[in-house]
Amino acid sequence: MASKYLIEGPVTSVEISVYLDGMAAAKDTGGHSFFLGQVRADFLKGKIVMAIEYSAYESMVNTEADKIVESVTSEFDDVRSVRIIHSTGVVRAGEVSLAVMVSAGHRQQAMQACSKTVELIKERLPVWKKEIYEDNSHAWRENQ
Amino acid sequence: MEIKVLFFGVLAEVTGTGFKHYNGVINLSDLYHRITDDFPEIAHYNFRIALNNQIIEGEHPIKPGDEVAYLPPFAGG
Repeated sequence: MASKYLIEGPVTSVEISVYLDGMAAAKDTGGHSFFLGQVRADFLKGKIVMAIEYSAYESMVNTEADKIVESVTSEFDDVRSVRIIHSTGVVRAGEVSLAVMVSAGHRQQAMQACSKTVELIKERLPVWKKEIYEDNSHAWRENQ
Repeated sequence: MEIKVLFFGVLAEVTGTGFKHYNGVINLSDLYHRITDDFPEIAHYNFRIALNNQIIEGEHPIKPGDEVAYLPPFAGG
């Protein structure tokens, strides 16, 4: 998989460590704000969600995520870095399927920009999810 | 020369494929008729259309080598 925004399977602590290690040299950064989206074991119509299988339109993820990063860094001029990692394939309940990591000179814009990035991802990223239940049945879900 | 149509999410399940090639298609509505001839079920689903990674509303011409994607409502994050 060629996309810098997609990872096969769950996001792990490795990806988070890599980001933080990479930011250690950024001496003008005073705050990081992270959002980690985790697969929740929802109970729906008598069934428990065991996992979610994500699929993505990779080339369009690349163009849309580039636009999201550009939009957020334009809007929040104190932001130094925006990193988006979204899972594809199967992610089990309790595992992380989205990481948004934002670094800024100060905490206020780090947190605001992180929140904005998550909302833009939910609105614009061409990713789909299929909930897989304990009986191996499945259902497709949409963002509200 | 052909165009490539990609199906995502529930549409990939409904069509049983992630993609199909079509020849001799002139615009998006022409393409829609050809696709629903092959996969009538698609008419029951909501989706948007991307042409070469750009969401398109309404009619648009298609040329050989274009990539069209049928995109159900997103569910990222």
